[in-house]
Amino acid sequence: MEDTGKRRLAAAAVALAGLVYFFVCARPLPKALVLEPRWARTLGAASGEQAAPAAGQPRPAASTATAATSSVAPAAGAPVAAGSAGLAAAAPLSASPQGGFDADSGWIPYRIAGNYGYFDEEGKVALKAASPFGVALAKGAYVAYDRLPESLLLRSASGRELARVTEAGYPFFSAGRLFVMRPGQSSVAEIGPDGKALWSRDFPSIVTAFDASPGLALFGLMDGSLVGVGADGAELLSFAPGGSRVAGVYGCAVSPDGLMAAAVTGLDRQRLVVLERRSSAFRVTYHRWLESDFRRQVSMAFTEDGRYLAYEIPSGLGVYDREKRAESKIAAAALSGVGLSSPERGLLLALEGGGASRGLLVASPSGRRLFTAPFAAAESFLARRGDALFLGMADGSGSASILRMDFKEE
Amino acid sequence: MERRSRPQGKAPALLLACAALAALASGASALDWPLADPKPAATFGTAAKGRFVSGVLLASEGGLVRAAGDGELVYAFDGSSPTAVSALPSTLGSFAVVEHERGMAGLYAGLAPGSVSSYLTKTKAGSILGTAGASGWAEGQGLLFAVYDRGAERWVNPLLLLPALKDKTQPLIRSAALARGGKSYALGETRSVPQGEYAIAVDVADPPDAPWSAGSPAPYYLRLLVDGAKIAELEYDVMEGRSGRLVLFPQAPKSRADYLLPDGRALVAERFFRRGRSVIEVLVRDYAGNERGASWSIAVE
Repeated sequence: MEDTGKRRLAAAAVALAGLVYFFVCARPLPKALVLEPRWARTLGAASGEQAAPAAGQPRPAASTATAATSSVAPAAGAPVAAGSAGLAAAAPLSASPQGGFDADSGWIPYRIAGNYGYFDEEGKVALKAASPFGVALAKGAYVAYDRLPESLLLRSASGRELARVTEAGYPFFSAGRLFVMRPGQSSVAEIGPDGKALWSRDFPSIVTAFDASPGLALFGLMDGSLVGVGADGAELLSFAPGGSRVAGVYGCAVSPDGLMAAAVTGLDRQRLVVLERRSSAFRVTYHRWLESDFRRQVSMAFTEDGRYLAYEIPSGLGVYDREKRAESKIAAAALSGVGLSSPERGLLLALEGGGASRGLLVASPSGRRLFTAPFAAAESFLARRGDALFLGMADGSGSASILRMDFKEE
Repeated sequence: MERRSRPQGKAPALLLACAALAALASGASALDWPLADPKPAATFGTAAKGRFVSGVLLASEGGLVRAAGDGELVYAFDGSSPTAVSALPSTLGSFAVVEHERGMAGLYAGLAPGSVSSYLTKTKAGSILGTAGASGWAEGQGLLFAVYDRGAERWVNPLLLLPALKDKTQPLIRSAALARGGKSYALGETRSVPQGEYAIAVDVADPPDAPWSAGSPAPYYLRLLVDGAKIAELEYDVMEGRSGRLVLFPQAPKSRADYLLPDGRALVAERFFRRGRSVIEVLVRDYAGNERGASWSIAVE
C-alpha cells in the first residue's frame, strides 16, 4: 500500500518535471532556411529595344512575371533546401547601398548575354538593350560605350539623358560613384552628376585593383602600392605592403563605411593586409601570409555591415572577422565572384564553378556551407535586395532568364 | 600612413642603366623586340587622349607577342576570362606583366582577348605571351610594350632597352612658334613680335624609314637655345609619378598639360624676349642618332 503511494508520488513528480521542462526549458526546433523560387522571367536575345518607364514613375506591381520559363529553373513555389539542385548564378559585385548614382534604387541592374538593362523586384523589365562594347551600371544610372569613346553619355535607369562626360576612357560605377579609367590604365577621374570631372589623378604605375565606398576610393597598383583617395580627390592613404619577392596588388576592398581597407598583395609570398582608419590615418590591424599564388585579379569584398571580409583563396573563400580578428575558411570550387552578403540573415553569398557548371554558395561567416545550389549556365549574375535573390542565367546561345528566390524559414 | 621605402632601392636602376649602356656599346640590347618586324606607331612621351604614352606602341595585326626577355609572368588580365571579377575596366585590354631581370616589369597590353598565356609562370625570352589584337582603348591593332623600373619607381623608355631600329632618316622639325595669350607666331613666317614672355612651341617628329607605319614617333632628344644660351634640354628617357601627375623629364618635370598642346606641339620652354633680335635654335636627335637642327631669327619690338 505504501509502495503504491510512493509510485504514484514518483509518477506525479516526473509528470510535474515534464510540465516544468515543457513550459520553462524547452526550445522550439530551429527553422530550416530555404530559398523559395518566386518567379522566373526570360530576357530573350539581344535586341537593342528599350522599354523604359517614364522618369520617376513608381514601379508597377508584379503580374508580368512568368513561372519557370528556364529549363534550369525549378518550378515556382518549390523551395530549394540545403543540398538541392536547380539554380544558376554568376558574378557581379555589389555596389554600396548608399550614394549618388545608386540613390534611385527602384531598379536592379543586370548585364548578361550581351544585353544590359534593369528589372524590378517583381520581374518587370524596364530596360533591355544590346551592349555596344561595354556598359557601366549603377542602380540609378548607366553609361553604354563603344571601344574608343571620346566622350560618354550618362543616362538614368529610365534611359533619360543626364549628362555628357567629356572624358575619353572606360566608365565604371562603385558605391554610387562614377569613375572613368583613362587610356593607359593609370589615370582616373571621378565624374559628378553634371558629367564634369570632380577630380582626376595619375598613378605612377597601372591600376590592377579597385574598390570604393562613398568616402574612399582605393586603388591597387602594379608597383605594389595602395592609394586611397577621398571624395574630394585628396590622398587619404598611401601604403606599399612589403615582404614579398615581387610587389603587386592583386585585389582590394573597402568597407561600406570607408573605415576598413584590405588587399591581397605580392608574390612569393602572397599576403592579406587589413588596414583600419584610426583618427586620421590608416594602420595595419591584421595581416597574414597566404598559401595562394594568384597572378590575376583576386575577388574580395566586405559584407554590407562591414564586419566580415570575404576573399578568394585557392580552396574557396577566406573570411576575416573584423570583431574577433580571426579567420575562417569555406571550401568552394573556383569562385567567379565574391561580394554579396545578407547581413539580416548573417549569410555570405558567393558564386562558384565555371564553364557550364556553376553554383550558388550560401554560407555562414563562421565557415559553414549552408546551401549549395548547382546549376548549368554559361554566364550568370547574382543580385540581392533584402531577402530576395535574383539569379540571372544565360545558356550561351544568347537567351537569358532571371529567377527570383526568397530566403524563408520553415 | 606613410609610404614605406621598397626593398629594391635605386640600385637596380643604376645597374640597368649601366647594363643598357654596356649593351648599346657592344651592339647588344637588354631586351628583344616582343614582335617580329616591329613598326612603332607611337613612342614614349607622345600624347594619347589625355595621357602620355608610357611605352612604345607597335602596329601589328595578330602577330605573336613574345616575352622580351627571361622572366616571370606576375599578372595577367584577359578580358574574356571569367576571372575578370571586378567592375574595374581595362583600357589596356587584355594584358600581361612579366617581371624581367633587375626589377624591370614589362607590360604587354592590347593582346587579343582569349589569347593571353596566363598559365605561364616562368618565361624565357621569346616565350609566347599571346597575340597582338585590338583590345582596350587603342586605335588600330597592335601591342603597347612598356617597361616599369620597380627600383626607381618609374617608366623607362623601352626603345633604350630594345635593339636599335634601322633608321637613317633625320628627324623632322615641322614647325616652331612663339605663343602668348592665345596668339601664336610661327617662326619663319613672322618677322617680328612684341616684347614679352612667350611659350616656345615646337612640332617635332621622327619620320620612320619606309617599314615604319602609322604615327609620328617622337625623337629621343631635343635641345633649345635662345641667343646661344641653352634654355631646355629634353630627353625622352623616363616618366614618373609626382603629386598625382605623371611627368616626363624628371629634372624639369612636365605633365601632359604643361607640355603638350591639343594639336600635338610640345611646349618646350617659356622665355621673356626683350627688344632687339633673337635667334632661336632647335636640335633634335632620334633613337638611331640621326640629328637635325634649325634656327630662326626674329625681331622683338
